[in-house]
Amino acid sequence: MTALLEIQQVVKSFGGVRAVDGAAFDVAAGSITALIGPNGAGKSTLFNCVAGSLRPDAGRIVFAGRRIDRLPTHRIARAGLVRTFQSARALARMTVLDNLLLASIGHPGERLSGLLLRPRAARAHERALRERARELLDLVGLQAHADAYAGTLSGGQRKLLDLARVLMLEPTLVLLDEPMAGVSPRLRVELLDHILALRRERGITFLIIEHDLDFVMQAAEKIVVMNEGRVIAQGDPASVQGDQAVVDAYLGTAAVHEQPAPA
Amino acid sequence: MSTLASAGFWEFVGVVAGIYTILALGIQLQFGFAGLLNFGQVAFMAIGAYTMAILVVKEGWSTWLAAPLGVAAAAVGGLVLGLPTLRLRSDYFAIVTIAFSEIVRYVAMNEDALTGGSQGTIALGPVGQAAQYNGQWAQFQHRMQAWLGLPSADATMLVIVWLAALALLASAWAVLRTPWGRVLRSIREDEDAAASLGKNAFAYKLQALALGAALAGVAGLFYAWQFSYFSPDDFAPLLTFFAWMIVLLGGLGRVFAVPVGAVVFGFIFAGTRFLGFAPFSWFASDQRAYLRLIIIGLVILALVVLRPQGLLGKREEMVLE
Repeated sequence: MTALLEIQQVVKSFGGVRAVDGAAFDVAAGSITALIGPNGAGKSTLFNCVAGSLRPDAGRIVFAGRRIDRLPTHRIARAGLVRTFQSARALARMTVLDNLLLASIGHPGERLSGLLLRPRAARAHERALRERARELLDLVGLQAHADAYAGTLSGGQRKLLDLARVLMLEPTLVLLDEPMAGVSPRLRVELLDHILALRRERGITFLIIEHDLDFVMQAAEKIVVMNEGRVIAQGDPASVQGDQAVVDAYLGTAAVHEQPAPA
Repeated sequence: MSTLASAGFWEFVGVVAGIYTILALGIQLQFGFAGLLNFGQVAFMAIGAYTMAILVVKEGWSTWLAAPLGVAAAAVGGLVLGLPTLRLRSDYFAIVTIAFSEIVRYVAMNEDALTGGSQGTIALGPVGQAAQYNGQWAQFQHRMQAWLGLPSADATMLVIVWLAALALLASAWAVLRTPWGRVLRSIREDEDAAASLGKNAFAYKLQALALGAALAGVAGLFYAWQFSYFSPDDFAPLLTFFAWMIVLLGGLGRVFAVPVGAVVFGFIFAGTRFLGFAPFSWFASDQRAYLRLIIIGLVILALVVLRPQGLLGKREEMVLE
């Protein structure tokens, strides 16, 4: 499989601290890749660099053959690389449906010039968008909440909304930042099923930061382990579990399968 | 209590409420929908009024050409303010807007050759000649008065200002319920999340700031025409805060809450002059004029405690995170 995303020797410092210190790995097209590591390993900083929220000090980030490490977030999103946030960013004082309708690239109705000059195209786009939003609400089981304020949803429901909103954009690569954190066990199973189905049916590539190792071992075919800003190991779940550097740096002396899942 | 019954007085109050509606609609667009803390709105009002007056007096332009240019100048003022500052965090942006509005006022006060300085528009023309910019407007107003059969100039102005205000309110309402308005609200809610969905937050904030500034420019035109004279003192920061009070009174994020807030504000503001009974009568009338500011302040305080969403806002929107 070809690499959809290439992280090449990325460095990002805050003051004197090198949060990301030459990290390098590839994400294969159509894969589910997990990014793990202890707190402070630089995973979230790296995510922010990939998504355009932070600009790397050095190194390159290449997405679908195109360098993206100098682009602002909204341009990266339009290119098909979309992120979710660690705490789901539901737009609280907008309805669940409006949250989804927002996720559209090139909507003529989102420009004042489009509203004036192409009102018919804007309306047609909006109609198609609504249809798609309803489908995705059905998919994640939030159809009953369509007209409720997103701020009334539970933490787990917000994660589902976040996922549905990202899917509205028809992305090629989705970055999920701790999708399982704060989600009830029942919704976890549901989320995992969604992610697996999306990869299978739509060929969406996922790069996931997650502390829930059960989830990581079940879902990912490749695991990248970071520690102190560097990639210390990468490979399939079995080989990473047996890697001595990982056991030392990240897992201490305990084996992976004995790690309790975070509450 | 003869003034209480005088139609002329209430017509005047209504005209001012209409002008404030247009000014405050700009704040509603900028803050209520896009989350921008603009505390310099009065500066755009000044830019609109001065541009029109200067073009008419100094360049001999027709009012009907100078007026839209005044509005355009206010919008450009918004762009000029926004381009370097809208990337700042919202509280820093707020501070810059106050500074901007004071800079505009001080420039108007000191650039005598351009603005007439602290003497105001009367000194726009040659020395020793009282300049006036509203000849064409006064003619138009007379014709409207005759055509509509209205009793006074103020009554005519009342109709004109509120027609303009309603047209602008309706346009704002229509444009804010489009997908464009939806993007603005998303930026108000969470700029980073909006960017992650492909929205260029900066461009939208700039548009909201410029459009709100243009509305202030329109308010500035009507202000200039109503009073047929103005000076930099008319554009003190207090006016910006009046507009903010109107928006908070009416309710955030609702277009038609603005005229409601403006009318309530106008009545409280004008009504305090009728407080001729004890304990208010213990004060001299010039002191009593300041009571209205205290009363407005108390009303806002009571509102924050009892009805934080304003008169027409939605309560549930205040508690969601």
